[in-house]
Amino acid sequence: MPIIVSEPVTERGRKDARRHREKQREAIIKKLPEIIADESIITQKKGRVIKIPIRNIDLPHFRPKTGNESEGIGQGDGQPGDVIGHKPAQGQPGEPGEEPGEDYIETEVEIEEIIELMLEDLGLPQLEEKEVKELIVELGYKIGGIVKSGPWPLLDRRATAQEGMRRFWIFLETLKAETGSDEFICFIALKQAGGLLEKAIEIIKQNQLTSKESTIIPFPVFEADDLRYREIQQDTENQSNAVIIAMMDVSGSMGYMKKYLARAMLFWLVAFLRKLYRNVEVRFIIHHSTAKLVGEEDFFRTGESGGTNCHTAYELASSLIDTEYPTNRWNVYVWHFSDGEDFDPERTIEELGKLIDKGVNMIGYGEVQPDADPDWFKNKRSGLWQKFKNYFTLKETQDNGLGIAEGDKDLPLLCVRLMEREHILPALKAFLRKDRWTQ
Amino acid sequence: MKKQGVERLIQIEKRIKEIAEESGLLTTEITFEITTAQRVLEGMSYGFPVNFSHWTFGRDYEKHRTIYEHTGAGIPYEQVWNFDKPKAFLVETNPFALNVLVIAHVYGHVDFFLANRYLKHGRSFSNVAEEARNASKRFKEYEARHGQQEVEKVIDAGMSIQWHQDPDPFFEEQDEETVRERLIAFERAKLERFEDVKSKFKKSETQQEIEQIEKRLERLSTKTPPEPTYDILNYLIKKSPKPLKPWMIDVLTVIRNQARSLAPNRKTKGLDEGWATYWHVRIMRRLFEEGVITPEEHGVFNDFHSGVTRENKAGFNWYRIYLSLFENIKERWDKGQFGREYEEEKNAFKHSRWDTAAGLGNQKIFQVRSFYSDRMAVEEFFTDEFIREQQLYIWAGLPTANGDIVYVIVEDNPDVIREILKNQFTYYGVPLIRVENGNYNSQNHLLLRHVWNGYELDPKYMNATLEKINHLWGKKVFLETRVDDKDLLAMFDSERKKK
Repeated sequence: MPIIVSEPVTERGRKDARRHREKQREAIIKKLPEIIADESIITQKKGRVIKIPIRNIDLPHFRPKTGNESEGIGQGDGQPGDVIGHKPAQGQPGEPGEEPGEDYIETEVEIEEIIELMLEDLGLPQLEEKEVKELIVELGYKIGGIVKSGPWPLLDRRATAQEGMRRFWIFLETLKAETGSDEFICFIALKQAGGLLEKAIEIIKQNQLTSKESTIIPFPVFEADDLRYREIQQDTENQSNAVIIAMMDVSGSMGYMKKYLARAMLFWLVAFLRKLYRNVEVRFIIHHSTAKLVGEEDFFRTGESGGTNCHTAYELASSLIDTEYPTNRWNVYVWHFSDGEDFDPERTIEELGKLIDKGVNMIGYGEVQPDADPDWFKNKRSGLWQKFKNYFTLKETQDNGLGIAEGDKDLPLLCVRLMEREHILPALKAFLRKDRWTQ
Repeated sequence: MKKQGVERLIQIEKRIKEIAEESGLLTTEITFEITTAQRVLEGMSYGFPVNFSHWTFGRDYEKHRTIYEHTGAGIPYEQVWNFDKPKAFLVETNPFALNVLVIAHVYGHVDFFLANRYLKHGRSFSNVAEEARNASKRFKEYEARHGQQEVEKVIDAGMSIQWHQDPDPFFEEQDEETVRERLIAFERAKLERFEDVKSKFKKSETQQEIEQIEKRLERLSTKTPPEPTYDILNYLIKKSPKPLKPWMIDVLTVIRNQARSLAPNRKTKGLDEGWATYWHVRIMRRLFEEGVITPEEHGVFNDFHSGVTRENKAGFNWYRIYLSLFENIKERWDKGQFGREYEEEKNAFKHSRWDTAAGLGNQKIFQVRSFYSDRMAVEEFFTDEFIREQQLYIWAGLPTANGDIVYVIVEDNPDVIREILKNQFTYYGVPLIRVENGNYNSQNHLLLRHVWNGYELDPKYMNATLEKINHLWGKKVFLETRVDDKDLLAMFDSERKKK
């Protein structure tokens, strides 16, 4: 029979496709600095799924080097010079096989997944629900459970009476068992003895019953153990709140790259903190010679000229913490983006010290200098960086070209110098490490 | 598929076979298996109906699935194997007319398998399909015993060089000692010729030559390989000083056998698809004329056919171009548009209207399907006229100021296009690399040589591939090649990971 109907088969294809996907994930990890610096990811507001163009993983083999990879044979109407296709700079390449171009497919990856990958890459454990950071917040006192001892005014009469009745019936049963008398006799004896068991036994044994009771009316009998008091408890609540106070110096020219670096850092910080806390808020402060609270749009848009008083931003952050985000209820993260210029760095240090004393989780200082030459860092340090470094005795290190300055691990301060996109990942790493290790 | 449908399909299959035979196609009993789309996609991706697990197969599976689900390129879910008893898939959920089309198409392929000399050769090795089925079980055991990663590393390494076979597909493999004896005998014969004349003419040059031959003989007695070999995998399997464990040798042998049996398909892909397409058009037309399929079904067929053979403005659609090629060859030989007289006809009008009513078209296309590879077909039949008629061109992606990429036609000169196609088909993208010395530096290092054909190797891929070879060889691996017109000795050493 030439045509046969076959049986259903294995899922081999899907299984091996998963292995390929695993390898793609490994490739994504390698590409993380590029991916997280991609603007189309950062400006994406809704929808937690992003598209990443990933080449299929190829098995290495000897192959000729082609001059221009973006070249090939095609077929159809047209003369040399005619345009046959078009691919926008970023975003959506055409359907596979439809448009010319490289052989890659767009893989959809959830931001969550990238964050997991980053945590993996950072060597941080995966965050389980139980690891969510919680703060125990004291709300005051409340009258809670019932205990066997306490001050007289807190005696719980109802609960105590219940215990007393229980005791009555227990004594009655005990009397019956001890004396062999009937229930009524026992009741009279117990009544006559004023609830004292020993005395009631004696009364029965010596037949000294005098009471004229005609029926059993239970009454509460109390031993010391039967008293019940209400308890005063501390009222607490587990909360998982975090706030990021983002501050930016808008005095100088806020070039595109500066805004971009700040924006990228903040986006990823928020994304990470959302993994750690149930409730994450972001507040924005801009400053030149004075500071003010603004919305997200203005934060990235505003560019003003004038003097630079960084301390005004730190002061405003302090009062924001005092009024809206007390550190006993909020995990507070402060990030300041600046070009390093400050008219009054001493006062800034003073205000920064106050923030630390308030118990904020972390203060990040991001010096954004995309246009500076790389050696600027070594030669002519900016005012604020140098001041922070000297005052807090920070140690300078480098990670993949990113300048980092941090103090010992009890000091919740991290300074990073952001010059290019590639610095975002190491800056995040440094921040997360420090934050997790200081816990 | 309903029982009724299956029965009708069996009847139609019989008729298709008759039509094929009447048309001169070779036939044999073909097993058609009605199955799920997924099964077919797996078959397309794994090389064989059942094969071992590997992520590249999974990757291709995913890719095929995406392409078929979204674009409908190619003939959806058509898969047939070049076995002694050919086997093909039909998809239960495909429209009836499409399954009829697939059967007709498969008969074209099977004729090609039976007649084409490269594909005949592909069947001459062993029962690779059965081997693949068994290998899938053994490899699973290896994974359980040695770990999935370890097995994967060996498969990765083996597959990265699997297409490095002797450039002559009909090359008869000989073991190293046989080759050595042959070479020694050859040198000895030369020596004997000198010995005969030695006493009479004791010229110093002769003496020099004798010494050279003696030196060569001495080297030949230990040299490995005695003469360079292109079959890198075979050499590693037999000679690796790593040493390879028996399971590794098994894995590599399976990979090598599969590659050897599949290589002929790679060499004839275009002709094979063109031929099958050429015949499915004719068979379907006959079925329609005979009333075996309804006008509606023929309409469904036409839709699929035009989808499969549509122009690809950014790619080389094998189905379309090679179908046209067979039609073009048939027309030319029917009209006698070949030979010196035709070629030398200067009058353009006469040239284009040339018709001697030679009627040799059918004979010629059957000849092409028997003896040609894709490269040979490009050289001989991709004439200027054909390339222009097909409107082939070269495109390039050019970046614009705002970062967009615009794809522009850059060339339509037939000479350039033919040259590019020929290069693409030369060794089918596999550069010629041969094993020169398995005891390089007298330290069992491996020396490979890239046989220069004007194209540099992609450096990233080159280093990664050397790393794979190193995984199998265990000692330093060297490759002589050229970069920027200078000789380069690339090296991979697992200890120093440096070129």
